[in-house]
Amino acid sequence: MRAERTVAGPAVDLARRADADRIARLATRCRLVLLEMIHRAGSGHAGSSLSCADIVSVLRFDQLDRPPGGPGDVFVLSKGHAAPAWYAALVVGGDLPAGEVGTLRALDSRLQGHPDRTRLGLVDVSTGALGQGLSVAVGRALARRLHGRDSTVYCLLGDGECQEGQVWEAFLYAGARRVPGLVAIIDHNGSQSDGAVADILPLYPLPEKLRAFGWHVAEVDGHDHGELRDALRRRDRDAPTVIIAHTRKGRLGPDRVLLDGSHSDLPSAAEYAAAVDYLETLLETGP
Amino acid sequence: MTERSEGVESTAVTGRPCGDGGAPKSTRDWFGAALVEIAREYDHVVVVNCDLAKATRTLPFKEEFPDRFFECGIAEANAIGVAAGLAQEGFRPFVASFGHFLTGKFLEIFQTVGLNDAGVVLVGTHAGLAIGRDGPTQMGLRDLALMRTLPNVGVFQPADGAETWQMMAHLATDRRPAYLRLCRQPLPEAHADGYRFRFGVPPVLRAGADVAVFAMGGTVPVAVEAADRLAADGLAPTVVNVSSLPVDRAAVERLAGGHRQVLVVEDHYAVGGLADELARIVLGLPDRPRFDVLAVPDYGQAGPPEDLYRRYRLDAEGIAAHIAALLQEAPA
Repeated sequence: MRAERTVAGPAVDLARRADADRIARLATRCRLVLLEMIHRAGSGHAGSSLSCADIVSVLRFDQLDRPPGGPGDVFVLSKGHAAPAWYAALVVGGDLPAGEVGTLRALDSRLQGHPDRTRLGLVDVSTGALGQGLSVAVGRALARRLHGRDSTVYCLLGDGECQEGQVWEAFLYAGARRVPGLVAIIDHNGSQSDGAVADILPLYPLPEKLRAFGWHVAEVDGHDHGELRDALRRRDRDAPTVIIAHTRKGRLGPDRVLLDGSHSDLPSAAEYAAAVDYLETLLETGP
Repeated sequence: MTERSEGVESTAVTGRPCGDGGAPKSTRDWFGAALVEIAREYDHVVVVNCDLAKATRTLPFKEEFPDRFFECGIAEANAIGVAAGLAQEGFRPFVASFGHFLTGKFLEIFQTVGLNDAGVVLVGTHAGLAIGRDGPTQMGLRDLALMRTLPNVGVFQPADGAETWQMMAHLATDRRPAYLRLCRQPLPEAHADGYRFRFGVPPVLRAGADVAVFAMGGTVPVAVEAADRLAADGLAPTVVNVSSLPVDRAAVERLAGGHRQVLVVEDHYAVGGLADELARIVLGLPDRPRFDVLAVPDYGQAGPPEDLYRRYRLDAEGIAAHIAALLQEAPA
């Protein structure tokens, strides 16, 4: 089921389109930065980072309200191996100096292979071993309700990650308690380390399961910035919302996928150069 | 991660008397009472429960502060994550379950509490063999070994009511991750009036000679009783309560160094617990005392607690006999 498109007049459509185009360009720049990070480190999950680059861009450049010094929105990257996507959004957004692009996974770097909030304050929760982030997001949302703070806690999960039992403990708890101000996004790229999710251990039928757990469920094209943004804005204010974002692992752009969607393979120098050429052309000719 | 500092004393709690003058109680009982008291003083104290509010003594807290009590059901991994989230938002969550179950979720503790440096108090009750007839699937016998691998998590195990109250005062205001290890069996008051708990400082309960006995939690009063029995034979073991870890290195060096024999008595597996911790310090002493351990060398088993403690020589009689034999083996 796709999220309903907004029925609006031409002016609103134009504004919406312009906004989506702005985010699309930022997302392309994020892809360039995250690929440079991984290429220079000689290590990192390029496919997983690329698959959620659009989701992370919509969050960083459109949704997350993080006033300096204040208790703004929270972002939990439960699929911590996609850390380069978040780091890249921070670089493109000007939160992180571009000079740190070459420090991914280096000794003493703030840009650990998986996000570590004790080293980088722009990380809200340390993650890496899968399945744990949603529980922390639930705790943070509960705390905000207790404090009477109106803000949102976002949690990005992988689809393979949803095989972890703790994810369902957290879905069960938040649904049963109708925890407000909580948005989970599943980067549903259908692929995990050893192969297709559908072969390793299918999640089907995912939306029905999540609805049965008491969540408001939306499904979108996870590379369509307008759809993502609309679904996030239409979230249920009084109950937890989960957005199943259909994505492609390794996606560079509308007609290009890196390394056939491999989970953790590294692009060769030639593949990296070709990807950079493609992304730079997108920036020149794209929206 | 910075060094753990001594906590700020709570005015409401530290003035409590040692025990209440009544029958001995378990440290989980004292914990439940102190929890309500500190919650009245500090709004940031919350509880995350895993369907064991009666057994862990958090039920009175739930009744008085229902809005600050989060029931996660039989799902400890999620409970630990929820607590970490609450801690990151400024609350001081106490997550209570049997120590065996709670620390069983070690990957979750490592990441969302340890590495994430979330100020959660993990409360593990039913430490050691004392759960008795329920057997080794419920006994907290390897919790210390796991928790001591985390460099920013302090371990607290009170030996009596006075120490429990003071640790709770410390934990209410300190904001670092912690593991509070509690006993099921009633314990007599071990400390003299006026005792003040200080993190890392091991109080000396019997100052003697020849052998220094280091104990923790439920084994403390048993070691004291063993020492008092040996007094009739002219032996006077030193007895030390190591109630928090990491322990002050200089204090252990000073205490152990003045004796020719060290004995560690612990209601935990022999590997990875207090003995390992102290051995790392004692091994560095120039005139190293002999070192021995009384602990649980296998998985444990079901049985009446008193039978189990007798079997593993962790009762007063077993400890006293062991000390006497040690001193006979290595005369002065």
